[in-house]
Parts: sequence; C-alpha cells; structure tokens
Amino acid sequence: MKKAWGKILLVLVPIIIALFLLYPTYKASNLEKTKQRYLEEAKKAKNPSDSLAIIEKFEKQYGKELLDAKANRIKLGLDLRGGMYVTLEVDVLKLLEESAQRDAIDDIFLEVLEKTRNDAQTSDEDVIEIFKRNFEQIARPKRKFLSDYFDFGGEALATDDKILEKLKENAEEAIDQALQVIRQRVDKYGISEPTIQKIGQRRILLELPGVTNESEMRQLLQTTARLEFKLVRNDENLVAAFYKIDEFLKKEKQITKTDQLFSPIPNDTAKKEKQTATGDTSQSKSKNTNLATAEIDTTKSEQLSDTTDPYQGLSQEEKSRRYLEDHPFTTLFITNYMPPDGERTQFQRDVRFYNASQVPKGEYSFEIFEDVWKKFEAIINRKEIKALLPYDIEILPSAKPEIIKDNKGNEYKILSFYGLKRDPELTGEVITDAVATYDPTTNQPIVTMSMDSEGAERWAKITGANIKKRIAIVLDNLVYSAPVVQQKIVGGNSQITGMSSPEEAKLLKIVLKAGALKAPVQIVEERIVGPSLGEDSIQKGIQSLLIAALLVLLFMVIYYSTAGLYANVAVLINVMLIIGIMAAFQGTLTLPGIAGIILTVGMAVDANVLIYERIREELDKGRSLRSAIDEGYSKALSAILDSNITTFITGLILYFFGSGPIQGFAMTLMIGIITTLFTAIIISKALFQITLTLGASNISFGQPKPIKA
Amino acid sequence: MQFFKKPNIAFIPNRRKFLILSCFFISLSILLILIFGFRFGIDFTGGTEIAIRVEKNIETDELRKLLLNSNIFPEEIKSFGEKNQFLLRLKETGKQSTEIEEVLLSSLKDYNIKILKKDTIGPKIGEEIRLQATIAILLAIIAMLIYIGLRFEFPFGFGAVVALTHDVIFTLGMIVLFDRLNVINLEINQGILAALLTVVGYSVNDTVIIFDRIRENKEKHKGIPLAKIANISINETLSRTIITVITVLLVLIVMVFFAGPVLQGFAFTITIGVIIGTYSSIFIATPFVLWYLKRIKKINVEADISKETVAAKA
Repeated sequence: MKKAWGKILLVLVPIIIALFLLYPTYKASNLEKTKQRYLEEAKKAKNPSDSLAIIEKFEKQYGKELLDAKANRIKLGLDLRGGMYVTLEVDVLKLLEESAQRDAIDDIFLEVLEKTRNDAQTSDEDVIEIFKRNFEQIARPKRKFLSDYFDFGGEALATDDKILEKLKENAEEAIDQALQVIRQRVDKYGISEPTIQKIGQRRILLELPGVTNESEMRQLLQTTARLEFKLVRNDENLVAAFYKIDEFLKKEKQITKTDQLFSPIPNDTAKKEKQTATGDTSQSKSKNTNLATAEIDTTKSEQLSDTTDPYQGLSQEEKSRRYLEDHPFTTLFITNYMPPDGERTQFQRDVRFYNASQVPKGEYSFEIFEDVWKKFEAIINRKEIKALLPYDIEILPSAKPEIIKDNKGNEYKILSFYGLKRDPELTGEVITDAVATYDPTTNQPIVTMSMDSEGAERWAKITGANIKKRIAIVLDNLVYSAPVVQQKIVGGNSQITGMSSPEEAKLLKIVLKAGALKAPVQIVEERIVGPSLGEDSIQKGIQSLLIAALLVLLFMVIYYSTAGLYANVAVLINVMLIIGIMAAFQGTLTLPGIAGIILTVGMAVDANVLIYERIREELDKGRSLRSAIDEGYSKALSAILDSNITTFITGLILYFFGSGPIQGFAMTLMIGIITTLFTAIIISKALFQITLTLGASNISFGQPKPIKA
Repeated sequence: MQFFKKPNIAFIPNRRKFLILSCFFISLSILLILIFGFRFGIDFTGGTEIAIRVEKNIETDELRKLLLNSNIFPEEIKSFGEKNQFLLRLKETGKQSTEIEEVLLSSLKDYNIKILKKDTIGPKIGEEIRLQATIAILLAIIAMLIYIGLRFEFPFGFGAVVALTHDVIFTLGMIVLFDRLNVINLEINQGILAALLTVVGYSVNDTVIIFDRIRENKEKHKGIPLAKIANISINETLSRTIITVITVLLVLIVMVFFAGPVLQGFAFTITIGVIIGTYSSIFIATPFVLWYLKRIKKINVEADISKETVAAKA
C-alpha cells in the first residue's frame, strides 16, 4: 500500500495541475455570465443612476476577480470569437519619396521610384535594396547621385552609402514608431485584448477581437494623421500664375495641333472639352463639364476690365467659344475675388480676366467640381507647369466637398482649393490633447485641440502676425478649414471643423492624440470573422471533439478492455493538460487548434497501442503480467520516441512557417506530443503499477484468452 | 478483442505487385495534377473571399444574377457548409473590396444578409505565402531525412522520404480529383498546407514504427535475411498499424462531418494522407530500403546477412 502512494501522486498531481490551470478559464466564463446578468438588470433599472449603481456593485464585488481570471484564462483566437485580423505594411517607398528634397525630384527620380514600386510588388527583397539597384541602373548612367536628391545635412553624410544607410535607419525607425502610434490608437479606440506585433522588417500584425465597424477601423489604422497649420496664399500672384498656365497650355495645344496628344488630360475628357469648346451647350448641363463653362456668359460674369477685351466685336457665342479656347485651365474652376482694402464683405463670384497682367491685388477663393479635381491636379503636377506656379506655394483641396443642389434637384459636389505656403507654420507635434465635441453655434462636430507651452507661444505669435488673414488647418494634405484669424490666440487652443459626422470627429481626436505616423502604412492582408461564424465554429469544434473522443475511448475499451480504460484515463488527462498548458503559456486556442487537439486524441492512443501490443506479445510468450508490462513499456519506448519526435519536427516547421491560425494548430500539436509522451508512458504505467501494488492479480489486455499473472 | 493473431502475410515477397500499383497511382496523381492543375485559394493568389449567410432560400444562380445586377462579379460562388451559406471569391483587394462589402450588404438587404467572414490578401503576401509553403514542405522532408538517417541508417532515411513523397503526391492528386468532382471544396490554402505537413508527420511516424521493429529484430534474429526480417517486422507491427489507423480515422471522419466548413477540407486531406501513409509505410518505405541496399549498396538482402555490416547504429 505504501509503495502505491508515490504512483498515486504521480497520477493525481498532473490532474490537479491541469485543473488549477483551467480554473481561471472556468471562473472567467462564470463571472462573465454574472456580469451579463448585472448588465441586464442595469438595463431594466428605471433611472441612469440606479443602473450605474448596479454596474458599480458588480465592479466592486467581482471586478478584480474577473480581471485576474481573464488574464490567466485560455484565450480564444479571432476565428472563434470574431474580429479583425490585419497586416499593415509601412510604405517605405512613400517614405523615400517624402525624404527626398522636394525641389530636386525630377523625372529620373520618379522613374526610379516607379520601377521600384513595380519590382517591390512581387519581390520580398528589401525595398531600399531594390531602390538602390534601380537607382544605379537608371539614374547613375545619367550622372545622378543620391546626394542630388537627399540631404541629411553635412558633407560627411553626402556619400551614397551614407545616404542609403540613413534611409534604412529611417525606415526602421518609421516601423517602430508606427507600432507605437498604432498601439496607442487601438488602445484609445477601446478594443479589449488586442494583439499588436511587429513581423519581419516592415509589417505590423494586429488581431482585434470584437471589431464591428471595420471601415472605421481601417481609417483609424491607415490615417497618417499629419496635422499642419499653413498660411493661405490665395493672392494675385497665384491667380496670375493660373493665367500663365492658360497661355502655356494654349501654346502647347497649337504646337501639337491634335487634342489626342494633349498629354495630361485623359482622352475622354479631352474630347469632352473639345465638344464644349465647339459650343455644344447641351453638354454644359451635365455634371462632368467644367464648372465655369456651365455658366459662361461674358456679359453676366464680372469682367473686371473690358477695356482690353480682345474679342471685341464678336458675337456672344463666338466670344464664349474663343474665351474657352484661350483659357483651358482657368475655366476648369471658378475664381472669386475680394479687394484688399479691408472692407471684407463678400467675395465677388466668378471673376474672369483675359491675361495675367490684368489680375488685381486682393484675396481670391476657388471652387471646382469634385470630378474635375483629378484633371486639375494632373495639370498642376506637371513639371513644366509647376515651374509657372510660385515656388513656395502648394495647392491643396478641401477635405469634404460641399454639396449644392440646383433647382432641378441635381446634386453637385464642389471642392474648394487653396494656395498654401509650403512650409507649415506649426505641425501636430505640439498637440497635447484633443477633444471631440460640437460647435455651440452651428452644432457641427468639431475637434478642439490644446498645445504644449512652446506650441502655444508659437501659435500666439503666428496668429498675432496674421490677423485678418487665413490659416489653413491641413490634415494629411487635405484642408479641413481655413478660417480668418480674428485675433491673436493665446493659450494654444485651436479647432478643426469640416467633419461630416461625430464618429469622424471621434476618430480624428484619437489619431491626433496618438500622433502622426512618420511613414504612411497600408493594409496588405485583412481577415474578418463575424461573431456568428465564431460561435458556430466553437460549437462545432467542441461537438466534434466530444464525439471523436467518445468514439476513440469506446474503441479502446472494446479492444483492450481494462487496459483500454487505463489508456482512456491517460488520454483524458492529456486533453486537460493540453488546454491547461495553453492557458498557462498564454497560448491562443484557434479552430485549427481544436483540430490539433482532436487529432492528438486520435494519435495519443497510438503510444498506448504500441505498448499494449508489446505487452500482449510478451504475455503470449508466457511472461508474468508484471514483467510483461515492464517489458512492454521498455521495448515500445524507442518506437514511441522516434515517431513522436518526427511529428514534433513537422509541428515546429509549421509553427515557424505558418501564420495566425495555423500556428495555433502547430502549437497544440507540439504541446500535445509532449503531454502524450508524459501521459501515455508515465501515467498509464503508474496506473498499472498502482493496480498491481494494490493486489490485483489480473488486468485484462483484451486478448481472447486472458492469461493469469 | 484481437484483430490479428500472429499474422504472417507475405508483404515483402509480393512487393513488386504493390510497387506496380503505387506507380499506377502516382502516375495517375501526377496526370491529374498536370491536366487539371491546382486551384489556389486567395491565401496564395491574393484576392478577397467573403462568406455570407442569408435568411431566405436562394440558389447559387439566383444569387449570382443578383450580384451581377449590383456590379459585383465574383469569380466563384460556392456553398459554404450549410444551406443558404455562400462563399464568394473576388479578384479585388484593398479599397475596392471594402466597397464591395457595402454594395453586398445593401443589395442583399431583403435576404437578411450576414457576413460570416471576409479575407482580403494582397498579391504580394500571396506570393510570399506560396514561397514559404514550398520551403516548409521541403524543409520538413529534409529534416525527416536527417533525423531518420541519424537515428537509423541513411538508406532508411531515403525510404521514409520516398514514402512520404509518394504520400504527398498521391494526396495532392486526390485533392485535385475531389475538388474537380465538386465533392468538397479543396482549393489549396494555408489549412490544406498544414494538413499536408501533418500528413508528412504521420507518414513518417508510421514508417518509423516499422523501421524500429526491423532494427530490433535485426539484433534478435542474426543470420536471417533482411527481407525476411522486414516481413516479420511488418507483420508484428501490423496490429498496431491497423488500430492506430482506426482511431485516427475515427476522429478525422468525425471532423469531416461535424467540424464545420472551415475545417472540412483540412480534415479530408489528412484522412486521405493517413490512409495512403499507412499503405506506404508497409508497401513503399521498407521495400525501398531493401531495393536500395540491394541495388546501390550491393547487399544481398534475400540471403544471410550475418556477414554484412549493416548492424544498426542505435
């Protein structure tokens, strides 16, 4: 009897350990049920303070317990609980483009970038390496060096090797910073138990359980959130430049003669323009036409100086046609004008000039159809045209189009665009806090921001110096608003308007607080599991686990009789241990993981089968029960070890090459092999020894003729 | 209960017949693969897959028409597990796939559509996974060769690798066949890949048990020809082989029928692999070792081996 105690402990201890490891899971699920009950009660409560009291009561009584239990319970994978699985990749190419000197970017550089983009699409090679190779192939023969495009300060850093090194460093920094920023955003958005990790050189993997609004999540993850305050320079210089563009495009058209070769405009729009130019007025009603041509009528629109009217003496129709032909660029949009003398009343709508020299001093504003913006952008991004614009100005559109309905009920989406001083006065780095709220007068959603002391000081200086001027609030190169500064702002407050919904304001608040990304990121992989499929999977998974286990256990008892029962005890302890160890090691149970456990049940008996077949052989040779058992265990050992180690190796390979759910499968497979070795060899043998020590003279191994010990 | 009481089946003496059978199966599998080719899932090709459930009864053709009307052009519409559950496969990735989701929700509103899951994978990731998959399988094979080579002898390692290659090719052939017959959805995805690696593990596992017995019997019955020892060993382990295959198949069949659409292809692949793996460990692995020793090492496996130096290292 005394002898048996050691063996009994050997069996009991693993059971106790397994139960101990599984207890938090059990407790957490119980407490969550209790919480659900409390929440329902809280919902039923008559007034908010009562329901709050009920929730508080739960938190007080069970809150900490639940938290502890949750920390140690087995975690369910996204495929079982529902949620979103996203892989983000840092856009290194964008980073390259952004770190280059803006003025230095030329066609050669763009060609290198384009080729790198194409190559990187299919290659896993480091993007900077691809860039380096392409640069050497394309730009080097044209006597260009990296130092022509990048300036990281100092002569010492001007060699190509040093620049590449610095670019790599930047890329690495960008991913680490993105990891931090995105973690903060996800936390602030309020997702419980997210997994966020860096994979490889430039990817971030996120597992976001319970996400219901995927598009909001995507926006949250992908927004670069670069906030800038820029001075608006919608002045006569800009408008004059626009008229110079007119001249340039007209000249270019005369040279090429054919519209088809008119490069920046896609063929169909070019044709459309031709149609309108030839006086097809029916076209002017359609949404796709130039905003200006829809209303072109030189008598109505305010011709500021008609003393130099070059179309004098022509019919109204001919005038319109000629004007359009001569002004292919400025007729894409509407120009509004306000004189500079300080009586700020209203903009004079839709002003037109014949040429750049006529543009008077003052402030301007611009409106354009949303679908014409692309064409506009294509033109201003041409190198020859960039040269015509003031060098320190960039043109950016408003974030949201204004929707205008005409009397026929047609909707028009109209954007504004702004000429902005390229270098920002202030950037989002100074923002310390952001709050989503409503504008008390307009009731529109807004985000108010506060700045750190240095930012506030600078903000006061900037606003003080620009009273009665406009400052644009730019987020990710879109102008959210461009208010006129009424007075010097001290204390560092500012606000963003122009959001379409309170949800958008909330997202904006989160991204502003978390800070901007150094490099843009993009989603390269996304998997969403709906909660209903998750529940379905759990139910089906557990159901098949139970059926499979039952069948195997039944088979073992039928085939091996009493010994089969012992093997079954070992298998049950095995399953408990697998799940317990998963919980202890913070492993995640996925659907393939459940499959792994089911498979382990099938394979786990293999070890016992090997042993039992050996014992039967030994018994057949006439050995005593005790020595047959000893012999069986020792002889089967090498086969069990070798076969399990080979399976373990495949598990390892799966773990390192698989992703997400597959890793869950590999994990359970490997844990299963270890626990199988332990339970099948040690526990089942202990069971036999206990029985024998307790004085049993016969254990049936299920052979036709039982053999006495 | 006992299935076999001291079986003595002439496996090894009849090995040529089974070799011919295997050659036939393998050529058939390769032919199937070459003719029909694999159907890769979006894990490997990139694209979007959306699983939906609708409340009202609808046929696949009807659903396709409805989707075409809303300008959604799925490459494929398949049923997903249960009635009124469908899997749509689209080429689009990224932004467009989000738009499709919205259009889908609004155009099937009358059917109470619910999105069960949605996977979007960029083309580059797909390429990477494909490469990783190939590396994983090759690495597994090499690892097996080395482990068995060290634990036994290298001819045995080759035998195990030939058997598992045989199993993988056959399983792939069957995947193509059953997929084309539309019995079950078996496009190659990460799950199927995991299943294939599990098959590799199982195949070797099974083979090793027989090798282990050969190693033991070689020591025990010195003087008996290796071919005979092999046959004795296969017979001695036959009972175990059959019982283990039964228990494993029991759980796999349960999984195929009860574990739901996500695991079905996975479980089905392992089922085929386990059956062929059991076959190959008896009819391919050991006969190959004998053939190798005879032809390459010029050892007379049919005659007395006591004078030969092929004693096991372990």
